[in-house]
Amino acid sequence: MRIRFRLDGQSVEVDVKHTETLLRVLKDRLGVGSVHFGCGEGSCGACIVLIDGRPRYSCLTLAGYVDGKEVSTVAALARDGELTEIQKAFVENNAAQCGYCTPGMILIVRALLEKNPSPSDEELFDALAGNLCRCTGYVPIINAIRSVIKR
Amino acid sequence: MSLITSGYFAPVSVREVLSLKRRLRDKALIVAGGTAAVQLISKMIVEPQAIISLEKVPLDYVKMRANSVEIGATTPLARLIHRKDLPDALKKAVESIHGLALKDMATVGGNIFTPAPAGDIATALLSLDAVLILRGARGTRSVQLSKFYRGPLQFNIKPDEILTAVRVNRPPRMSAFLKQTPWKYSGPTIASVAVGLDLDKNGKTRRAMVALGGLTTHPYRAKKVEKMITGKKLSEQLIEGAAQHLTDGVEVIDDALASSWYRMRVAEVLFKRILYNITAGG
Repeated sequence: MRIRFRLDGQSVEVDVKHTETLLRVLKDRLGVGSVHFGCGEGSCGACIVLIDGRPRYSCLTLAGYVDGKEVSTVAALARDGELTEIQKAFVENNAAQCGYCTPGMILIVRALLEKNPSPSDEELFDALAGNLCRCTGYVPIINAIRSVIKR
Repeated sequence: MSLITSGYFAPVSVREVLSLKRRLRDKALIVAGGTAAVQLISKMIVEPQAIISLEKVPLDYVKMRANSVEIGATTPLARLIHRKDLPDALKKAVESIHGLALKDMATVGGNIFTPAPAGDIATALLSLDAVLILRGARGTRSVQLSKFYRGPLQFNIKPDEILTAVRVNRPPRMSAFLKQTPWKYSGPTIASVAVGLDLDKNGKTRRAMVALGGLTTHPYRAKKVEKMITGKKLSEQLIEGAAQHLTDGVEVIDDALASSWYRMRVAEVLFKRILYNITAGG
């Protein structure tokens, strides 16, 4: 089947199989580098994208689902080469160790702060529960996020 | 109507879903949130010729009535967060599913079908004596959730039916849900317990619903325990005694996540914690 959707603001058209996941289509067909395969079962969050602004595991989303929708990856955040506040905070706090989990982390934080600009630690940990950092570098990640939370 | 039998279908009404189901039968896999169903495909457990995605079917709703709550089958868990008007057991079960993306994708209806270590929402709904609304070609019927599970992945639903909503009539005055996972903010369920209770003015139990999740493929009601505590005051002796019968006649899962012995002990602790909280006025 042929699907059309917007990927980081650009129109894309691609032929997909009905059983193909969005993750495969983004990575293997469209060459998106920031979306990663981790666990394939919605535990690690390395594949998270925003679909119409809502966070979703692209490994658990069938490609057909995004037909007519807007898909955003972390690449869409920077404007004219200027990083967003969250991205800058990750850089300043050394929150990207190997970097594999970073795009997913940044997108989930963005989705959280959009709904709730001043989450408590409890709310923050709950939101991040589906994103694993296999370097176990959680302290700098949490420090980076806390630095942009308005309290 | 076209005779295409493969591909990705995104019907816009229940009626359309039913006609697709009739046409495609077991060639099609129904996908709601995708958190469980898509894994079946990517792990090559099933290879469906067609997908029926429920994303456009208008079953994403919560209807509060005077003495009932109805939740559409494709309502994502995120929709239920921060709602103060839901029974406590359901609220706590939803909060216990961690991660923003998971709560945004996983649906109430999907959870009913997903085996342990998932199924926490179903456990909470069991303790509220929820009813499932099933629609088929020949109309609508309702089935008590406690009569829905027939065995591992076997349900009281016909091939031409779909689950459209979950309804709780006369929610109990008190309800609670507790679960234990291997680590604090996420992880699979080792055991979960949900209790719905109505007490009379003398503090005696008028109605008791005790549901256990994570111990068997699908959650179940501990009927013996319910019988033991109904019509009586919740004394320490009664609670301790009843807790010994939570898994009567049940074969508890024994796997790498936890031994059956450990799951049973955890379930006991959670059950007692809930009842002691209630008797302490908590």
